[in-house]
Amino acid sequence: MRSPIHVLAAVLTSALLVPVAGAQEPIKIGAILPLTGSGASYGVWMKGGAEIAAEEINAAGGIAGHKLEVIYEDHAADASKAVNAMRRLVDVEKVPFTLTSYSSPTLAIQPIGAQNKVVMMNGGGQSDNLANKDYLYNNIPVVSNEIGVMADWLAKDKKFKSAAMIVANDEAGRNAAKTFRAAFGAAGGKVIAEEQAALDGTDFRAQLAKLRAAGGDILFISMYGRAVSIIADQAREIGITIPMAATSWALIPETLKSKGADGMLVTKLPFDPTQPFAAKFKERYKTDAGFFAVQYYSGVKIFARAAEEAMKKSGGKLDGEGVKNAIESIRSFDTIAGKLVFQPNHAALMDIEAGVLKGGKVEVEKVIKAGQ
Amino acid sequence: MDLLLQLLATGIVVGSLYALCAVGWGLIYGTTLHFHVAHGAVFTLAAYYAYVGQTLLGLPLWLAVVAAILAAALSGLLIDLLIYQPLERRGAVRTVVFIASLGLLIVVENVVAIVFSADPLRLDIGVLRTSLRLGPVYLTWLHALTVAFAVVGFCALVLFLRYSRWGHAIRAVSSAPEMARTVGINLGRVQLLTYALGSAISAPAGILVAMDVGAEPYRGTRFVLLASVAVIMGGIGSLPGALLGGLFLGLLENLGVWKIPSEWQAAISFGVFLLFIVVRPRGMFGRRVASADL
Repeated sequence: MRSPIHVLAAVLTSALLVPVAGAQEPIKIGAILPLTGSGASYGVWMKGGAEIAAEEINAAGGIAGHKLEVIYEDHAADASKAVNAMRRLVDVEKVPFTLTSYSSPTLAIQPIGAQNKVVMMNGGGQSDNLANKDYLYNNIPVVSNEIGVMADWLAKDKKFKSAAMIVANDEAGRNAAKTFRAAFGAAGGKVIAEEQAALDGTDFRAQLAKLRAAGGDILFISMYGRAVSIIADQAREIGITIPMAATSWALIPETLKSKGADGMLVTKLPFDPTQPFAAKFKERYKTDAGFFAVQYYSGVKIFARAAEEAMKKSGGKLDGEGVKNAIESIRSFDTIAGKLVFQPNHAALMDIEAGVLKGGKVEVEKVIKAGQ
Repeated sequence: MDLLLQLLATGIVVGSLYALCAVGWGLIYGTTLHFHVAHGAVFTLAAYYAYVGQTLLGLPLWLAVVAAILAAALSGLLIDLLIYQPLERRGAVRTVVFIASLGLLIVVENVVAIVFSADPLRLDIGVLRTSLRLGPVYLTWLHALTVAFAVVGFCALVLFLRYSRWGHAIRAVSSAPEMARTVGINLGRVQLLTYALGSAISAPAGILVAMDVGAEPYRGTRFVLLASVAVIMGGIGSLPGALLGGLFLGLLENLGVWKIPSEWQAAISFGVFLLFIVVRPRGMFGRRVASADL
């Protein structure tokens, strides 16, 4: 029979040993997302997707036995806030990897990431300038791919001749507008008027009145976030009757609910609302999942796969350089949305669908296969 | 031509909002000489009062608006009663009152942003959102209502100041405070009334913008800045001046984009203001800044 002292000693040792045995430090990664502001709707999807992915990874035993912990930061569509968040992630949290979003904020943090060897995975921003950047990978196509499809479809299939544009005065808006001007021109159309406006604006009537006077047979909205639905409603209110067009950025709950946006011609990136992930998202967050939820779910999964590979090579050590090398050597990742292949320019290719927004749903009319 | 008419109409609507804000601010400034930037906080609060009334308390829209105007009037009154008057009793100079006002504006806006988030909150305005077409000009019924509010609000204020006992008292204090005190007018009470009245006149502007494009926590700062510009342009102490100054700014902002790219909209007003203040520092109908006639 054991003495109480022995029992106590055994309990104490096991109490001390358990944390030591399980002392696998968690792996921390960052996520710099639009959690508030004009793009908060994207933030709900992006954060939700990343959370679900991290939970699944941890439920399955983590990454090489380490728990995964995601640190969420808010950039509110503001590049300087993104830089502060990135500095905190790099200097304080010492992450090897961060998810990032939006074009201006991502371009602002990229030099910090490259300098400190922190891999950045952007699943939302689409400016062409995000391609070919050190330590920055985009698991989304750059906007010129999507705009190319859009411009062709509008000019050749839909026979639009002249376009007016309302443009967000930031990196993403201007880059998309510039690309549209060139692509629509190459497809036989012409951009006849352009007005810039603030992304976080709430009154676009002055710009829209000018665009109405300029004419044109299609209004291209080179904007994203909340602004798209406000513009669509105010355009109708101010007597603009021509059809409107926008890229996949526009497809957030605000736009889907907007009366003015009904009939909008859109390009979209593939998202299957019947997949199990969508059901899981809906159950957990009480709101429908969208494309960007899958994007950030995939971003975390891509990291987990690359990190495992990197740790195998280094004998358990994990740093940003290792993750980068692993991404470069794996290149092709299996995701719930299909195979994702990073191109030499560090961006992905995807099928692009073109269709009409009707009653809150896109009726797809045309699908352009990835890379065509 | 169609564009010009449309911009003119939009300018009058926006100008009406500025005018309401400017008349309220000008009344307070002309009477108390407080540079009351926290008027922006009252403007913001009015919008959120209406939102709370309609969305959280389930009041019908008209009742939510009336309640919000009354609550805004009370807020303005309390700011004077609890902050400015105690400061003045302790001998604070105008700069101190101004700093207190600025601090209050920042605190209120941030508290509103924390409680309600910084995202615009939409009110349900039903049929007011439907388009109203006048030839080549497109507005909504809400815009027509905005202009009506400005006209009726201004006329009611002028009648009150001209023909009521309390109105006389306010005018007396604004033109000669020492004289008013010697004839037995209670300056403290008149000041409170001025704050309530000035807040009530500007509150509809805050509510109407919120009905149009959603309530936002930081909008008050821009409006109070424009209101002070309108008052200085119109001439300090002149209510018709404040009204016209506000209208002028709205028209300028909208007609300006006729030939200038629209991203310069905000810069236009302040550019013209700078020019104006150099060329005619007294404003359109202004008197000396030390006292004012209403």
